[in-house]
Formats: sequence, C-alpha cells, structure tokens
Amino acid sequence: MATTAERQMELTLPMVADIEIAAARALGNLARELGMSSESVDEMMHAVIEACINAREHSGCADNRIYLRFIGTSDGDDSRVDVWVTDRGRGFDPDEARSHRPAPGEAHKRGRGLQLIEAHMDEVEISTTRNGGTTIHMVKHEKRHHD
Amino acid sequence: MTEELKVAIDRKGSGAVLYTKGYINNVGGEEIANRAYELMDDGVRTLLLNLRETKIVNSIGISILIEIIEKMMDKGGRIAFCCLTPVIHKTFQIMGLANYATIYDSEEAAAKELAL
Repeated sequence: MATTAERQMELTLPMVADIEIAAARALGNLARELGMSSESVDEMMHAVIEACINAREHSGCADNRIYLRFIGTSDGDDSRVDVWVTDRGRGFDPDEARSHRPAPGEAHKRGRGLQLIEAHMDEVEISTTRNGGTTIHMVKHEKRHHD
Repeated sequence: MTEELKVAIDRKGSGAVLYTKGYINNVGGEEIANRAYELMDDGVRTLLLNLRETKIVNSIGISILIEIIEKMMDKGGRIAFCCLTPVIHKTFQIMGLANYATIYDSEEAAAKELAL
C-alpha cells in the first residue's frame, strides 16, 4: 500500500515589488518535498508568479495583500498540487480578458499572464466577482513512470 | 524584497554575448535593454543573450525583451538566445519571441551559426 504524503501552506503577502518570488520559492519547496520533477516545479513557479503579478497590477485592492494557499499530495506514483491565489480587489471578466488575448506565438507585449498560467498548469479555474475579489485555483498533476 | 539581475557582456567585434544572472522582471528587463541599446549605439548588430544563469522570467520582463528584438530588427540586426531552461523556452514560444529570435541549445552552437 502506497504511503500518502500531504503538505499544506498558507501565506499572506504584501503587494510589494518582487513579492511573487517569495510565493514561487515557497511553492517550489513544497513541490520538491513531494518529489515532483524540476520541470513541473518550474512551471508551477512561473504560473504563481504570473498570478501574483496580475493581483498586484490589476486587482486595485485596498488591503494590498495577496492570499495564497498550497496543498500538495503524493501517494508515491501520483502527485498533485493545488494552488489558490486570492486578492480582495475589484474582480474582472475572464472571458473579456481572453477575448483580447493574442494568438499563441504571436509577439505581443502585454496581457499574457493568464495565458501563461493556463499553459503551465493542468487545470485553472477563476472565481471572480465585481468588487468581490478574485481567486485563481490552479492544479498541477504528475505521474511518475517506472521503467 | 528585490531580486537584482546581473548582466555581463563579452564584446566580439560587431557582435556581443550578453550574460544574465537572476530574475528577468521589469527591472531586470530594463537593465538588459539599457545594456543592449548601448551596444546597438556602439554598432553591435548581432547580440546573443545567454540565459544560463536565469531560472525565472515573468511576462513583463519578456515584453521588454520583445522591445529589444524590435529595436534591433529596425537597425537591421539580429538577436538570439541560448541556454534556456525548458520552461523558459516554452514561455518564450507562447509569448512569441521564438518567431523573431532564434533559440540555441548552447552558446557554442549559437556562436558558430552567428559567426561570433
């Protein structure tokens, strides 16, 4: 019977320059403890960086805080990390944001954060309401292969 | 909390290799841009960015790299990248850099192709 490992972490971070690096490092450490590959860890770190930047740049929240929650589980062969990035800002319309998105591979200077998050993670769900804040829930799965 | 990017340059005739170390964000991107524009003003038309010691980039930093590429293209020059992590490589492809700048696995392969 496989042993199940679980790691949980909650962080509240101020919206200051480069704070996304603190979030990424914490998430990276948690994922590495579960034995996830360096590529999966890197992808999650890049995704959480973009989510934190979106919150900092666009949320317009009064409390200037980003709320993060990570839950990682592993049963030896399968690992899963759930990440929630929440702000208490003005919210946004994800469909409208996607409608302005340039095609993948097309050079465009801004507006790629959500696209990068979706490319780097396996599942992405956005909960947002006008003036009620935004939560991005992202999931990364990894299955270990035995040769 | 700040993550300072370090930049080093190896000038090679009308070309140059620019080495980065650290996080390419808005500040890091501007640092690269300032150094790249100095090189362009000094006649450099082939610029290779070696990102061997950069493990994390963000979309704002990449947007600045796109501006550097556009400026070099306006001058008739070319920019290439080498030594990217797999995730940075994937990010560059999504952001469109791969359409305008060649990406090499190693500095040796890039130098040979670019005659640096």
